[in-house]
Amino acid sequence: MKKVGFFVGCNTAFNRPDNEAAVRYALPKLGVEIDNLDGQTCCPAFGTMPSIDDAAWAASSAWNLIIAEERGVDIVTTCGSCYGSLSESYHNLHAKPALKEKVNEQLAKIGKQYKGTSQVRLLVNYLHNEIGLDAIKQASVINLNGLKIAVQPGCHTIWPSKAYFEGESDAFHPARLRALVEALGGIAPSYSRLTDCCGMGAMRSASPERSMLLFKKKLETINTELAPDLIVTGCNSCLMQFDMSQDQLQKKGEIENVIPAMHIMQLLAICLGADPKQITAMSVQNMDEILNKICGVKI
Amino acid sequence: MSKIGVYVCHCGENIAGAVDCKAVREYSESLPGVTVAREYLFMCSDPGQDIIKQDIKAGLVDRVVVAACTPRTHEAIFRKACEEGGINKYLCEMANVRDQDSWAHWHDKDGATLKARRLIRSAVAKANHLEPLMESSGDAIKSVVIVGGGVAGMFSALDLAEMGIKVYLVEKEPSIGGHMIKLDKTFPTMDCSACILTPKMVEVAQHPNIELLSYSEVESVAGHVGDFKVTVKKKARYVDFNTCTGCGVCTEVCPAKVKNDYNYNMDTRKAAYIQFPQAVPKKAQIDSANCLYFKSMAKTGKPACQICQKGIPAKNIAGCPANAINFGQKDEFIDLNVGAILLATGFKPMPKDPFKEYSPQSPNVVTAMEFERIISATGPTEGELKRPSDGNKPKSFAFVSCVGSRDKKHHTYCSKVCCMYMFKEARIVKEKYPDSEIYLFFIDVRTPGKDFDEFHTYCREMGMHVIKGSRVSAIDELPNGNLRVRGFDSDLGQAVEVEVDMAILATAIEPAAGTEEFARKFSLCQGAEGFLKEVHTKLYPVETSTKGVFLAGCIQGPKDIPESISQSRAAASAAAALLIPGKITFDPLISEVNADKCSGCGVCTPLCPYGAISMVGTNGDTRAQIESVLCTGCGVCAATCPSRAITLHGFSTEAVEAQIVTLARRYR
Amino acid sequence: MAIILSEMDKAFISEIKERGGFDIHACVQCGKCAATCPLSLAGFPFYIKKLIHAIECGMREEIMEDSSMWACQSCNRCVEVCPQDVKPYEVLLALRRAAVRELSVPGNTIEGLRNLYKTGHAVYPKGYQARRKAVGLSEEPPSTLSFPEMLEQFQEFLRNSELNEVGLFPMKKEEKK
Repeated sequence: MKKVGFFVGCNTAFNRPDNEAAVRYALPKLGVEIDNLDGQTCCPAFGTMPSIDDAAWAASSAWNLIIAEERGVDIVTTCGSCYGSLSESYHNLHAKPALKEKVNEQLAKIGKQYKGTSQVRLLVNYLHNEIGLDAIKQASVINLNGLKIAVQPGCHTIWPSKAYFEGESDAFHPARLRALVEALGGIAPSYSRLTDCCGMGAMRSASPERSMLLFKKKLETINTELAPDLIVTGCNSCLMQFDMSQDQLQKKGEIENVIPAMHIMQLLAICLGADPKQITAMSVQNMDEILNKICGVKI
Repeated sequence: MSKIGVYVCHCGENIAGAVDCKAVREYSESLPGVTVAREYLFMCSDPGQDIIKQDIKAGLVDRVVVAACTPRTHEAIFRKACEEGGINKYLCEMANVRDQDSWAHWHDKDGATLKARRLIRSAVAKANHLEPLMESSGDAIKSVVIVGGGVAGMFSALDLAEMGIKVYLVEKEPSIGGHMIKLDKTFPTMDCSACILTPKMVEVAQHPNIELLSYSEVESVAGHVGDFKVTVKKKARYVDFNTCTGCGVCTEVCPAKVKNDYNYNMDTRKAAYIQFPQAVPKKAQIDSANCLYFKSMAKTGKPACQICQKGIPAKNIAGCPANAINFGQKDEFIDLNVGAILLATGFKPMPKDPFKEYSPQSPNVVTAMEFERIISATGPTEGELKRPSDGNKPKSFAFVSCVGSRDKKHHTYCSKVCCMYMFKEARIVKEKYPDSEIYLFFIDVRTPGKDFDEFHTYCREMGMHVIKGSRVSAIDELPNGNLRVRGFDSDLGQAVEVEVDMAILATAIEPAAGTEEFARKFSLCQGAEGFLKEVHTKLYPVETSTKGVFLAGCIQGPKDIPESISQSRAAASAAAALLIPGKITFDPLISEVNADKCSGCGVCTPLCPYGAISMVGTNGDTRAQIESVLCTGCGVCAATCPSRAITLHGFSTEAVEAQIVTLARRYR
Repeated sequence: MAIILSEMDKAFISEIKERGGFDIHACVQCGKCAATCPLSLAGFPFYIKKLIHAIECGMREEIMEDSSMWACQSCNRCVEVCPQDVKPYEVLLALRRAAVRELSVPGNTIEGLRNLYKTGHAVYPKGYQARRKAVGLSEEPPSTLSFPEMLEQFQEFLRNSELNEVGLFPMKKEEKK
């Protein structure tokens, strides 16, 4: 049986625990055991340790990498930022021996050492590469029946591509999230701003209005080119933006319609048989209509 | 006892800036064999050389050591000065106290001065052992092989032919003309490319001194300057060259369609084809890889199609009226004996596929050469402006510069011609269709060159939008086939985007395919980016490290047509200067075997990189012999010979040992 | 008024290089990062292209007074497209590090770091226990929040790190959530 260390991060654990629940449902259904990586901390977020010092950043990531190492598992995560921070640290620690030495000096003070035996994997990639589309199709009990979906991979999941050992072969045309959606029976056409930033992240904290400029552009393109039934993200942070901010914009009259959004793990969990209401319980949006569509019966 | 003169050059500040020349001159006086030591600001200048000549004529010196710059550029000058002074020119030695001393140790003045003393001491020790040597000479065959029939190859061929030198022009494509014949118009004059080039192509084909070997490639090269042996493979056309009239019937009746790489796969041609209507020579050939006859013969041994030859009698369709088709034709190998070789094999434009951020999957994103073919009268749309995805007439265009150039991921160099050709292509479109919207995205606008900047400002006056400081970040493909080009207008200080019907990428110019293998044939070096290396970019731009092999055109580096022609004519002139005197002089600084000392062990023979050594003699009584014209004086054999039977003239064992001894001494 | 380049802080760029912007000199201001940089698209005064040139010009004061750098999304698209391998994002991080040492940091950054120290999480919102319970999960995630000894160890690690040197807030030993 495969086993992975589930890195829950902050936003998933506290704000979208329904997405965490989705992971805890879906992975065992696909034959993957979950290790909780007891004692994990923040990845650390880009606005924290990375903005203080590069060795302190790598060392803070290493805290988590070491937990996975000690348990002999790779890390999987739902959030692009977590994936980004952990992967970049992994990459730097392996590419710069002097950095690794400095980090191990810091870690030695608490009796820890970073060896580098555990990989960092985004769930989208893990599903696509490790589990495989066929296994997912086989395990699904719900088919999306051509549901039209706009995917949002999320910036951190695709670049910097050199830091990601199983990165997309063409970072400018990410294909994996689309392939996963299609394996579940949906259609996921490309759209012209697919790789653009949704605006969630440091910018949303620093200046919500400016963050909305990016987000509105994204929505405009999705609506004009696709008019989809659902938005599926590969990143938990993007999920929060699509879920919370459309409502706010609609209330202000800045957009007309709201497209329901969920994370690929939530969609997968539903297709594997999870309770759809519970697995999307923390959505700000009303998910009833889309869930009806997906599940085919009145919820 | 030799009388050595030591001349210490200041080289302006280049040497004197780090080395205490005065002290070094004084030190030189004390060295064994030195009768005179002088210093001067620029020894290579006329007055500088006069100092040496005067000392020789006055009988003060009979050997000369010049402590100056590099023998690579200046040895010949000082040797000549010595000869004019009255001593054998090989009694002259240089100590490189510039490249190997002052430049390398600029911040250590004391160290540099001490090193200069040692370098001069070493040169003086060697000078004591120098011997007078005489140059030898060989015949210079008055003919040249030019490889590459593009604009550079053509113009050098014409110049050489006019000078009475026989030229063999070898071109691997079926026709000459290279890339230039594919262009619509040329900058800065806006001449129609075919109009100015086809007369020259015809001239090349008809010139009595030029033998045009089209659809041919160089197979192997041997020999040396003045006497090269070049084997050329004339590829089988499967069409009799002399009988074919270029009528084109075979191309019409041939059933096999192939993607036409002449037009970058934007249209198709037949397996039996003529490359383009103005091809020179205008002959057909059969692409055997795609011809149904050859494919079926290889598979089943039976011919599936011979329509080009026999027509389809049942339908009253005739085949070749001149009966020129010859499926049994074979490649022909011919041996040429020439005095010099000129390489003008050109470039290839980078394709768009590596640039994923620019939506290369869209057919409406094209490279500049592809666009040139679209707007060209001989191109896939016969000059009608149609965009690839839907055949509609595009009204808005974005030109994107520096795609693959000035880029650590691809090529760090600037491809030089793109800024100008972007404006040129834009101008062609704007002049024909004044209501076109054209956006040109540049990092910098680079339009030096005669009449170039006026071309640029004229284009602005035509109303084209020039956006600078704006390497394009992304090109998004839109559902209707349009492109969204995203750049950053540095003059506005803001991100900008435009929706256009077509995007044209100015991709980098790379050396022609197969350059590495090709370079090896001629024992040439390539630069870091793959272009063939000239001896010196300023002083010797057309010469290579192999004497008698010259370069012209883009094979040496990206350049436009005016520069290619200038360089090609320069190369022709350099080759002619070499051949017209009729004799080539050979350096006597080569190795020679003393047959008495040679034990016949044969160790030296396989070591020679130039294949200059052979074992001669009879019945096991063989001795090594060095072919002097092939020897370049590298010294490997001399260093290896266990019997010390080989002398490298100018670097005798005694001389080198004397240098080692004096350098190893502990006195300063 | 014109910026007087000769009076700018020439040492600024060296500091940025030391703190992680090692390849800043490779930038030729080609602009490829700028058109898809979220900071530029969202209209922030100092997007990464401009920041790099401003650093080279030595405009320390102007940059430090502006808060654009804290809105960077860390998306790394600039790193992905840069033809000179400048790694512009790392220059921006180096800049933030310099700003932190001048205590020029936005409030929510300090809050995030405080949360990180107190709990092990940078984001620490109220009411999460109920949310987790509602979806059938344990009230606390399996992080340092569930393993107090590990939280203590993590806090010791942070006390020994650069974060303590910077001194944005006191890092006491018995700090409980």
